[in-house]
Amino acid sequence: MILVYILSAVILAVSLILQSHPSFDAIRFAGVKPDLSFIAIIYFSYSFGSFYGQTCAFITGIFQDANSNSPLGLMTLPKVLIAFFAGFVGRSVFQGSSFTIILIIFVASLLKGGLTLIFALIFNDASVASLLHIVLPESVYNAVIAMPLFFIYDKIFEFELSKERY
Amino acid sequence: MDFFIRNKTGASLVFYILFCIISMSLQSTSFTLSIEGVASAFMTPFQKLYWYSQNNVRKIWAGFTDLNTLNEELRLTREKLQSYERTAEDLTEIKSENEKLRRLLNFGDKVGYDNVPAMVISKDPDNWFRTIIINRGSNDGIKINMPVVAFNADEKAVVGKVIEVRGSVSRILPVISSDLKIGVMLQDSRSPGLMQGSSSRPGLAQIDYLSKSVQIPSNVYVVTSGQGGVFPQGLLVGRVSQTVVTKSSAFQRAIVTPIIDYNKVEEVYVIKYVPGQELVELTQKEEQKK
Repeated sequence: MILVYILSAVILAVSLILQSHPSFDAIRFAGVKPDLSFIAIIYFSYSFGSFYGQTCAFITGIFQDANSNSPLGLMTLPKVLIAFFAGFVGRSVFQGSSFTIILIIFVASLLKGGLTLIFALIFNDASVASLLHIVLPESVYNAVIAMPLFFIYDKIFEFELSKERY
Repeated sequence: MDFFIRNKTGASLVFYILFCIISMSLQSTSFTLSIEGVASAFMTPFQKLYWYSQNNVRKIWAGFTDLNTLNEELRLTREKLQSYERTAEDLTEIKSENEKLRRLLNFGDKVGYDNVPAMVISKDPDNWFRTIIINRGSNDGIKINMPVVAFNADEKAVVGKVIEVRGSVSRILPVISSDLKIGVMLQDSRSPGLMQGSSSRPGLAQIDYLSKSVQIPSNVYVVTSGQGGVFPQGLLVGRVSQTVVTKSSAFQRAIVTPIIDYNKVEEVYVIKYVPGQELVELTQKEEQKK
């Protein structure tokens, strides 16, 4: 399991550094970029359970908030909550078909966006128009790129998943 | 203790939620700032490392490309001793690169103020906030509220202002952010207004409080008015792309396309213009006269 922890940390760190790099803006579509770290978090929740996913979400969220102009916790809390619930729709419940992956990431991204908007309205400042300009396009973008990413992660964690007979 | 171990998922979830809610409630206090500072200090070296390695990989790749080109040229020279086309192409490439570098060097002088050139090393990782992190900080004399400009072709325009400074990095709030309000005016009619990032049109800004009596032609330039003390007067900001007039409002609104594209900005210049410095100097002079 130590190797899983190390690989998870590397994946999350690389995702966070990549998506905060200026050149990542080159792949903006409809004004948004995909949330690679969130897709990885959902993968961890989906594959290794709620506790593992929400802990990854908490640590990644803190680093993301520190690197962003957002108040500490604003990007963390929605990720933690979604990771907790994503653990319940794990591999034991839904087998990893392409459709399932797309659906899970799309719904999870929508919920994350909705929660972020609510918390931003309470603790910071936001516009409801963000649902159309940020939440929806980001959810679609995340869902589209989730499939190849899940495939790569499956290959990376094959040794651990095979132990759990997935 | 056994209870927490048995219910680790629920217990940790409650802890995480409480932590986030408390930290969001205590915005910008020493508690949250110190946690953010530690996390940011942990991240920055990795971001810089990634940025430097990417640059070095580019250089190495360029080296390989040059080597291949040279090999090709040598082969051609040995075989026929006649074709210098590739060399000429390479020279053109190097010339244009050289010109670009010279232009960049001159830009520093063109800024018109004492400035610190900087590279963009990171941006907000999410889509909700738009800030830029540069590789210059308080060690280079950068202070909060200093204006930041960049060049698009030969046009010098405002990028935003410094909102956070650490030792070797600073955070810039760009003009497309709804948190940044700038006093601006239309270049031709000198009509003043207040500009901020548009929340409904990502990547664009809007000017409010523009008089309805003003005719605003399309593509008219928007410059800083100097009001507010942060930005010096006359700095280019953007072009008006659309005007919105509603019957219910006494004013009209102009939608502005910034000259500097947030998604493409790589090099910026922090103007060492201490906000309000002129006002302080004027006050001091007045006091000395008395």
